[in-house]
Amino acid sequence: MQEAIKIGLIALSAALAIGVSAIATAMSQSRIGAAMAGAVAERPELLGGAIILVAIPETMVILGLVIAFMITGLK
Amino acid sequence: MIQRMAKVEILGLKDVALEAIDAIHELGTLHIEDLSEKIPKMGGKRISRMEIDPKYADQVATLNTLRSKVGDMIRDLQLAVQEIPKAEVQKEYDAIWSEDVDVMIGRIKKIIDEVEQEVKDPLDRKADLMMELSRLETYAPIMQKIQPLAERVSKIEDMASIALVIERKFKAILNYLNDEISKITEGECEIISADVDEESTAALIVFNRRFLKQVHDFLAVQDVNQVRLPSDLAKKPLEEALTEIRARIKQIPEELEKIEEHLSEATKKYAIKLIAARNAIHDRIEAIEAVPKFAQTDQVFIISGWLPEECFEELEKVMLEKFGNKVVVTVTDIREEEELEETPVALKNRPFVRYFEIIYLLSKYPKYGTVDPTVVFAIFFPIFFGIMVGDIGYGIIITALGYFVFKKFRNKPLLSMGGYVLTVSGAWTIFFGILYFEVFGDLLEKALHHWGVHLPLLGSEHSFISFPINRLEAFTLMMLVSCALGFIHIGVGLVIGMINGYREGNKKHILEKAGGLTFLIGLLVAGLGLAKYIPKFFGPIGIVFALVGVVMATAGAGMGGLIETIVSAGNVLSYARLIAVGLASVILAQVTNDLTRQLWHGVFGVIVGIVVAILLHTLAVVIAMFSPSIHALRLNLVESFNKFFEPAKFRYEPFRKTGGEE
Repeated sequence: MQEAIKIGLIALSAALAIGVSAIATAMSQSRIGAAMAGAVAERPELLGGAIILVAIPETMVILGLVIAFMITGLK
Repeated sequence: MIQRMAKVEILGLKDVALEAIDAIHELGTLHIEDLSEKIPKMGGKRISRMEIDPKYADQVATLNTLRSKVGDMIRDLQLAVQEIPKAEVQKEYDAIWSEDVDVMIGRIKKIIDEVEQEVKDPLDRKADLMMELSRLETYAPIMQKIQPLAERVSKIEDMASIALVIERKFKAILNYLNDEISKITEGECEIISADVDEESTAALIVFNRRFLKQVHDFLAVQDVNQVRLPSDLAKKPLEEALTEIRARIKQIPEELEKIEEHLSEATKKYAIKLIAARNAIHDRIEAIEAVPKFAQTDQVFIISGWLPEECFEELEKVMLEKFGNKVVVTVTDIREEEELEETPVALKNRPFVRYFEIIYLLSKYPKYGTVDPTVVFAIFFPIFFGIMVGDIGYGIIITALGYFVFKKFRNKPLLSMGGYVLTVSGAWTIFFGILYFEVFGDLLEKALHHWGVHLPLLGSEHSFISFPINRLEAFTLMMLVSCALGFIHIGVGLVIGMINGYREGNKKHILEKAGGLTFLIGLLVAGLGLAKYIPKFFGPIGIVFALVGVVMATAGAGMGGLIETIVSAGNVLSYARLIAVGLASVILAQVTNDLTRQLWHGVFGVIVGIVVAILLHTLAVVIAMFSPSIHALRLNLVESFNKFFEPAKFRYEPFRKTGGEE
């Protein structure tokens, strides 16, 4: 029983690590994306930079994924 | 590599100023410095901005008018500018060009007159015919629907009719019209309707002729479309008008074809002349408009600018040959920090690296005097891309597509650069695909398993390194590889930062970057020591190194250096995206294969399975080209370039005859 709870908690922690960071990334990207769409409409030459800026918050979810993997490796 | 530039000053007597400007324009190697803003700093009240002669201002106005006329003609004649042989255009250009602007204007006007004489009437006629055709094509189906109804009406005495066209979605308005017109005509009215096409309905209102005026007045205030024929057809019986419309619809394309033939002949005859005229006008205006960037005294003109060192000799020779001692060209040193900032940057890389200059679509050029990081980008971008996608099948498709684009669009710099980068990235994708043994995900592996063939494995399932590397399971190995690449990539960035600091003679900058590098090395050693990959005593040594690095960076750049150094540890972790994006790619491929296998029953299942596999793998390839490119770009621009990159203010854009707007 205790083992099952332990495994469940590990799985939940891993899910939280990636889930919460994914939500945070999505929120940031939605704001950056909207702002950049406006900027690119005014100045199309900003498109390249805009794509890079939209990709910047993805670091959060990637770190979330790394942490999730580390958590699932716990015994 | 950033080209070495020479800053030159050209001084000469004012009576040869315009010829000298023309010679520099013709040579096309000098990046002009706008002196107008620097004149107050140049000292001496006698130096002023060079003004455009009022005579030239009039000529520019005339040239602008001619430019718009020539532009209209090029558009009307639909000239395929790219397909016209450049050598012939150049020959014609030389015939039009003259140092005397009025002579040049005269030549261009003559060309315009010739073309106008030949094409104006046919072009006007073409426009009229196209308008007529479009109008008749609208009438024909309406008339066709109305004609049988109208024929019936015409047999009834004292009855008049009016034809309407209504949008089908507003068809209900016919009931309203029926009610209202019935009131006007005291019930002597009927509306007959028929749908013309998906969007419109034709209707015929039939009523007693006595109420013609009232009905017309009523319809005039309603928002309905009455069918009004062209005046020449309006008075003819409907049947006759319809026959005539049909005949015209048949006749007009034949007439248009003849006009097109005539215009195509004219296009062939005048295309080269028009393009050459457009180019000549563009270059002449540019030359005149450059004048206010120069300075002058009562007797002398001053032109300042930069050019690649290797081009200086030619400039000096041309000036000497054309103007003797009336013009003097001198080189000044580029030493001061302010001058380094102002120096325009030109890149000159080897063929393999040159195509990777595509990065500068997203970023400015590196500052003059610093290191050009194109070669770093050319090495790391394709490796990162390959690690992420890592699939033999996708790699072959990406390489083939990249090579096709590269070859097909040699004349379009952006596409050819993109194609080349994709080709190299595809090659690395195949290399990593071999390491992972992935062909469209696990397709080949499953097929081999199905046929009972076992892969020659190196190492066992529990070995730290084995072949093939299973990306889904070898997380620790992949994480270590990603971080190692991060250490190397960021380390290279810091080393370039130190070189830049050395070139600029900025010791603090060198100290900061050296501190960053020491911190990272210390961190790496400490990590490996604590994880027991190397002897344990390396752990504390690494920590000491890291601390020394932090102190050095802080000494070099204060709090900024401290924060930057600590953030660089986070930058290394950011390379974990190499695994993350790769995992997404491989899982998508595997899901596709699993789905296909589940559908693989019976002939129908096999067909559907193949379609699903093709569609989803195509989607995976598209995603594989897009997402890893962005992440590989980001790792270069954000993680590594941030450690050393100083942007240039200006790109080297020589004052030269550009050959028009295209």
